[in-house]
Amino acid sequence: MDRDRLKIFLNGVTLVAVFLVLFAFSRYGTDYQVRILNNMAIFITLAVSYNLVNGYCGILHLGPNAFVAIGAYTSALLTMTPAEKQMNFIIQPIVWPLNVIEVPFVLSLLAAGLTATLFAFLISFPVFRVRGDYLAIVTLGFGEVVRVLCNALQNVTNGPLGLKGLSPCTNLWWTWGVAVLSMVVISRLIHSSYGRALKAIREDETAARAMGVDPFQHLLLAFLISAFFSGVAGGLLAHLITTISPTLFTFLLTFNLLIMIVVGGLGSTTGAVIGAMLFAWGGEALRIVEKPMDLGFVIIPGIPGMRMVIFSLLLMLVILFARRGIMGRSELNWEVILTRLDRLRRP
Amino acid sequence: MKARHLLGFILLSFVLLPAGAASALEAIKIGAYLPMTGAVAAYGEMEWTGIQIAREMEPEVLGRKIDIVLVDTKSDKIEAANAVTLLIEKEKAAVILGEAISGNTMAGNPISEAAKIPSVSPSATNPLVNQGKQFAFRACFIDPFQGEIAARFARNELKAQTAAVIIDIAQDYCVGLGNFFVKEFVKLGGKVVSTTYIQTGDQDFSAQLSAVQAAKPDVIYAPNYYTEDALMAKQARDLGIKVPILTGDGAQADTLLQVGGSAVEEMYFTGHFHKEAAGSQRAKEYIRRFEEKYKKDADAFGALGADAYFLLVDAIRRAGSTDGVAVRDALAATKNFEGVSGLISMGENGNPIKSMVINKVQNGKFVYVTTVNP
Repeated sequence: MDRDRLKIFLNGVTLVAVFLVLFAFSRYGTDYQVRILNNMAIFITLAVSYNLVNGYCGILHLGPNAFVAIGAYTSALLTMTPAEKQMNFIIQPIVWPLNVIEVPFVLSLLAAGLTATLFAFLISFPVFRVRGDYLAIVTLGFGEVVRVLCNALQNVTNGPLGLKGLSPCTNLWWTWGVAVLSMVVISRLIHSSYGRALKAIREDETAARAMGVDPFQHLLLAFLISAFFSGVAGGLLAHLITTISPTLFTFLLTFNLLIMIVVGGLGSTTGAVIGAMLFAWGGEALRIVEKPMDLGFVIIPGIPGMRMVIFSLLLMLVILFARRGIMGRSELNWEVILTRLDRLRRP
Repeated sequence: MKARHLLGFILLSFVLLPAGAASALEAIKIGAYLPMTGAVAAYGEMEWTGIQIAREMEPEVLGRKIDIVLVDTKSDKIEAANAVTLLIEKEKAAVILGEAISGNTMAGNPISEAAKIPSVSPSATNPLVNQGKQFAFRACFIDPFQGEIAARFARNELKAQTAAVIIDIAQDYCVGLGNFFVKEFVKLGGKVVSTTYIQTGDQDFSAQLSAVQAAKPDVIYAPNYYTEDALMAKQARDLGIKVPILTGDGAQADTLLQVGGSAVEEMYFTGHFHKEAAGSQRAKEYIRRFEEKYKKDADAFGALGADAYFLLVDAIRRAGSTDGVAVRDALAATKNFEGVSGLISMGENGNPIKSMVINKVQNGKFVYVTTVNP
């Protein structure tokens, strides 16, 4: 069997395996396990799409929290029943078209992605006029503007009171479906001529321009795709925790995403996946160090916050021993694995 | 044994030991999820001290020991939802206590509701928190109520005809109080002559205050947190605005006195608790133990944390079991319960009906003024 066919076959097998694992968890897993798996998938979507801009384009974009917020609010406002909205908006009634609209979950997710993309398109013009630190500041500012707007637009977002009572539509199939889709779309993009152009821009924009690559067009494409998936993930997140408020979308969210992709390896999709999984699972798994421990001869009282200390230590260790994150810029795909296997067989 | 194996063994024993030790006694488990770290860690910390003292006072119910399992939420919604799921599923908590702030409680409540496990939040005051929920309760009164009482106090006690309202629009708490103050104040025949907005973190309030000055109100209602209120009071007094300032319990913190100095003298607060207002045996005992242990004045958050615990224990006692539905019914039937923060009766939607205290700053101290009954 030739290499390409084998890879397609193995990818299929992997997908089936993922499907079976999810099926097993949705049937026999506890709610707690399912919740962590859901968080994991949402963070994977967010990290992979964020990594497309920060890792592959080499642009320090600090506003994904804005796109997540836009996505979350869009889909939440679209799926809530008119009665539920009336109950939520106790200070000012909700504005006209939104008070009667109620659409199915899937459409609201699509709308979430598209609205985030629209906003990304609008801000891309000022954003891509600058580079480096300045770009970071512009996007950071955008993130804050969106959060402040969520606070101030009392008759659209219910302001700081937040929205509650969203139906818990998010399940394993949605979150992992979107996560897998985002991985596939983004890795296809990276391995296309567009992806190579993006990497060329990252390495040296002037040289890329000299080779006929239009930086604005390429960066815009990456930015829009990234925003789309961030928006969809925002919608999933809103319907997972069933309540949102502006405090959920502060810079801290961006910061967490940044940690995930730096630990996983900037510019590696598999790295982003690993980073997101470690983040979502690690935070919960480390709760064990905060519990009071009875060792028989001595009882150690639980110290809240201990897991953050250990988490930070682990992060430092990763960065000390793997300067470019766990994966660096390399990927873990069948191509790499098969090449390794071949080398083992023919020393 | 190789060193690596030994290390593995030690790590494994750390993982297994706590699991083995837990099942020794058949205790009733109260699952507490509180913000012990993160942005609002101070609230979690204060409530946890109160809860621990409450447990010392009533360590048993139905002849069984009470265990409290504390889980940190990092002041975050996603973590709060994780925490409640963990408490119900892995820890098998019979009842849930938490969270300290409204946004996180709204993330936790749907989960305990679905599992038919009753929950009591010490201090989630946003009116939306318990709306439409059967199993969610709280130990504090809600923001609209606090705004209304403030309006009544301004009209009846301070004899104010006109009021200026300054609201921090970044906080659901401040927006809630402010809006319901305006409604009630107007209903009582008063007039709101100026409404201005600030944001958490603002340092300069001259624009808002000059609007207030021009409107010449009889009272300023500024239901914001202590940092903003202290700075605002200072600047107001510097501008020569002499009218009384009325605010909510969010401003009542030592930082207010340190930052505000003489400018915050005669500032009025509506609040959950003042130790001098404590009447019941339970409250006195709580305050005694608190001051003995921590060598400082008992605070409102600790008192509310303790009340959440007492309410749960009382409901379990009256229900005679830890069955979720039975405890829920008992909680809903709570009547004239003598809590640390006053008499508590459960009203509609799991929101308590309870008296409110009014405090003010005098000679650099918070002193008790009066109690307003609902």
